[in-house]
Amino acid sequence: MSAAALNRDANRDADPGAPAALVRVEGVRRVYRRAGEELVVLDGLDLEMERGGFFALMGPSGSGKTTLLNLIGGLDRPDGGEIYVDGEALSGLSDGELAAWRADTVGFIFQGFNLMPVLTAQQNVELPLLLTNLSRRERREHARHALSLVGLADRAKHRPRQLSGGQEQRVAIARALVSDPLLILADEPTGDLDRVSADQVLGLLSRLSKEFGKTILMVTHDPRAAEAAGSVVNLDKGRLRGIERRARTPVREPG
Amino acid sequence: MPWSLLWRHLLARPLRSLLTLGSLSIAFFLVCFLRSVVGALEAGVEAASQTRLIVQSAVSLFVNLPTSYQSKIEGAVGVASSCKLQWFGGYYQDPSNFFAQFAVDADRLLDIYPEIRLVDGDEPSFLRRRDACLIGADLATSFGWSVGDSIPIIGGLYTRVDGTPWQFYVAGTYRSTSPNVDGRTLWFHYEYLEQSLETGAAEGPQGAGVFVLSLDRGTDPTLVMGAIDGMFENGPQRVQTTTESEFQRQFVSMLGSVPTLLGSIGGGVLFAILLATLNTMLMAGRERTRSMGILKALGFKDRILFGLLIGESLVLCLLGGLAGVGVALATSKPLAGFFDGFGITGYGIDLGTAAFGLALAIAVGLFAGFAPAWTAARLRVVTALGAEH
Repeated sequence: MSAAALNRDANRDADPGAPAALVRVEGVRRVYRRAGEELVVLDGLDLEMERGGFFALMGPSGSGKTTLLNLIGGLDRPDGGEIYVDGEALSGLSDGELAAWRADTVGFIFQGFNLMPVLTAQQNVELPLLLTNLSRRERREHARHALSLVGLADRAKHRPRQLSGGQEQRVAIARALVSDPLLILADEPTGDLDRVSADQVLGLLSRLSKEFGKTILMVTHDPRAAEAAGSVVNLDKGRLRGIERRARTPVREPG
Repeated sequence: MPWSLLWRHLLARPLRSLLTLGSLSIAFFLVCFLRSVVGALEAGVEAASQTRLIVQSAVSLFVNLPTSYQSKIEGAVGVASSCKLQWFGGYYQDPSNFFAQFAVDADRLLDIYPEIRLVDGDEPSFLRRRDACLIGADLATSFGWSVGDSIPIIGGLYTRVDGTPWQFYVAGTYRSTSPNVDGRTLWFHYEYLEQSLETGAAEGPQGAGVFVLSLDRGTDPTLVMGAIDGMFENGPQRVQTTTESEFQRQFVSMLGSVPTLLGSIGGGVLFAILLATLNTMLMAGRERTRSMGILKALGFKDRILFGLLIGESLVLCLLGGLAGVGVALATSKPLAGFFDGFGITGYGIDLGTAAFGLALAIAVGLFAGFAPAWTAARLRVVTALGAEH
């Protein structure tokens, strides 16, 4: 992956044939059944996310934020409604096709970092590239470049347990962007971090959106984290309460 | 397929992998070893002659027959030759130096047993001296004996009255061309034993344990067996005549159900290692639930995760199998020598046994890896990541 490749998504916006919204959620419903009881987590939700936007998804616990993130990322399937990403209806994909679609289209960042403990930082970043036709040398080059973008080129050979929480999350960001996805989904990426590390992570996400045109959806409880985003999507009891457009607050870039 | 992940997972817990590998190696060694022991026990039966007959007491193998029976038996139609065979039961210096010794009709031994091929010394030397003996070449090597040596053997069943050991002159060494004739036996003159008993120089049971018969070409062994058994039907000592093959089978079954027991132990070992490996793999699968979730989220398909876990199990079992079979092959020769000392010839790890061990390793690997691999493949991503909502 190179800066030129990352800019590809910014250029996609110029494609007159591309749908205006990268993500379109139409009447999505998700119900969990536990001990004979039905719990409606998402109740006919509609949402549109334009290309290159940085969205913060907020709401109280149990409002359906992570469920919506999982559904948009193809990690889960809705009980009703439809989700379109770049014009592709996710319900039409088989499990195998959905896995391939995830590898090609989405980059995930999790609260708990979710790095493979047996792999080094560079090997973790290389993981998504194992599903491509890139040679070993090319995979290494791409992974090194992604690590340098998050300021961790000198930590390539470290294992996750040898890194701080902030560094682990930056490795996870490098992993999320190494395959040049259209969409980056982040589930409380700063939830386990101190303020300084959180600012570094938010700075990186902001940069990915502004400079490289990546569309980002970030679940957060933290109003300060939400300030880094251009739009704040508010959920409550599985329903959309409104979208708040705002000017982004600059955050510190990683050192 | 991200094979590097497979190795990294195996090496993630090196102690556990090493211990599992050690258990697998020992188990597959034991399986190969026990299979070969059972094979060796049965090899004598399989290689035994169908046309050579054994006449023994109908009461028990441990009851001797009168030597006067020999001439009557030779009179039966179809019998070409006969040879007394009497167990001596002695040892060299210490009871742990155990090997078989038989008193035989020296002039008939090599005719009755053409499988005995002299490699040093000659038959006339053996026949010339009453105290002469033939010994297996491997036996000679073990104790450093050679032709011309005098060997002191302490009698077990037959003791010398003056308390001294029996002295045997080594007239020749031999190798056996068939597993049914032990390559570590000492054969000596029955006459030497008989005269020692008659003169009162030694004490022990009279008569001969069995008579070994060779038949004329084209003779039906069944008719001869019936005729000989009929000869002594009303005599003081009834006899039972069998083919050598049947005699060997009875001898093996006299060991109790040792082959069955050994087979059962092998089966038990296999079953135990199967459960242990299954447990290890289930544990590994549970520990990797989150990792599997990460891989799934990144776009790795179910079949890749299935392959990763079943591959890990296969690699572990195959490495254990290779190590176990390797040790079995490496110890084949020394163990063969050890078993020869107990009269069990034909021990050895052949290609069939090695292939059997490796095939079992693959089967155990597939079986133990299937359940965790299937579970990993069926796992929902959000469940694996612990992110239900």
